[in-house]
Amino acid sequence: MKKLIEHFSDYPMISNDKHDYIRYRMGRIKHQLWIKNRKNKHEIIIDTHDKFILDNLKPGKTCVFGSAGYYLEELVENLTVVEQWPIVKKFYPNAQIIEDRSEIAKVNGRIFDNFVVVNNRGDAMCELSVVENYISKYVQTMKPGCLFFYSFRDTQIVGWNRLTKDHRNYFLNFAKHIENTYSLNLVWHDIKFAIKEKDGAGNYDILENPDTTNGNIKYLFEYKSKTKKIND
Amino acid sequence: MVIPLIAKNKKIKVVEPFALYKWAKNFKRIQDRFYNQKYKLRRIQQVEDFITLNNFNKVYHIKEVRLDLELPKTVFINDINDADLILVTHQGYARYPCEGIIEQIETWLERCPKLYLCLNRHYLNIDNKKINLTLPEEFQKAITSWLQQSLSKHRVIDLSRDYVDYGRHFTWSLPDRHYFIEKI
Repeated sequence: MKKLIEHFSDYPMISNDKHDYIRYRMGRIKHQLWIKNRKNKHEIIIDTHDKFILDNLKPGKTCVFGSAGYYLEELVENLTVVEQWPIVKKFYPNAQIIEDRSEIAKVNGRIFDNFVVVNNRGDAMCELSVVENYISKYVQTMKPGCLFFYSFRDTQIVGWNRLTKDHRNYFLNFAKHIENTYSLNLVWHDIKFAIKEKDGAGNYDILENPDTTNGNIKYLFEYKSKTKKIND
Repeated sequence: MVIPLIAKNKKIKVVEPFALYKWAKNFKRIQDRFYNQKYKLRRIQQVEDFITLNNFNKVYHIKEVRLDLELPKTVFINDINDADLILVTHQGYARYPCEGIIEQIETWLERCPKLYLCLNRHYLNIDNKKINLTLPEEFQKAITSWLQQSLSKHRVIDLSRDYVDYGRHFTWSLPDRHYFIEKI
């Protein structure tokens, strides 16, 4: 009889570059954009949320954390790409690799004018209290006025009751808590959930919430400032 | 600052966000290859044991991810009306609205009175609708209570193991909440 397994850590995983790359790529949908774009001499493909971010970046230094941000290299000046998977260094040598998020500030200091986290797998499958702890580390890298683009999927947040809580209020209240606690002024948000209606045959679609690539919960905060005019 | 739609002599093409590739059907097989040793998901063993020990011989399986079930004596049939058990492991039904899940269960039970249903807890109430039932605050208990109250004419047995799922329990290979639902 085969050994039974319940949890990722029940047996040691293989550790080699191929394995690490597959695991990294499974959680980084936008890595595919980099694969598409890097050899294309004529065209750069981005999605509408990328366009929103690019349209709203402040001049200065931008950090993209845990979001395969190297696909934006040709579009963002002074870009720092930070990842937690050492395998990234193999195909994108400019990446900063860190273990703990507190290293981002230790390595770079408080230098960033923009800080971007788009549906980072490393920020998912945890409670909002853990997300808050991560955000507290990101804040340490931000200059006053820094724009903080943060997005994720509600389906990958743990520790809340999806049947009894109003989802929109839950995530809006979280943003307000972050605003009050970290001097991060919420200047824009986009919270969308699936709209389910029966088709002609009386069936529902089996789709998830909108924008599983970037996340259906999107915030834009401004650190210690509230002057940002949104280009939407 | 609005970016021009050209950069470094390249045209910028803006597309709607979309899933750039689909792992879904092979997700379990990809995860299987994370390990040198041969192993089996406990939850898959649970499904197989349930079918074998309860002598279900004709199973109508509604699936998405390839599970590689090992049930040599079981016939997987194509006509739901001939089944003695409907087995649902397709992730998509958890993404129905809650009332749609209940309606779908009722429809299945009209075709076959015994149903083994696997639901991915992370998708439930995908459309953020208020549920007019009194439910426990603990999410896993609330899921069971919602099913039992909504299907009060049927027998709903919770076969799930309770734990907080931090994404390391292979839930996207085989959904985590398991229920045997029987028409009475």
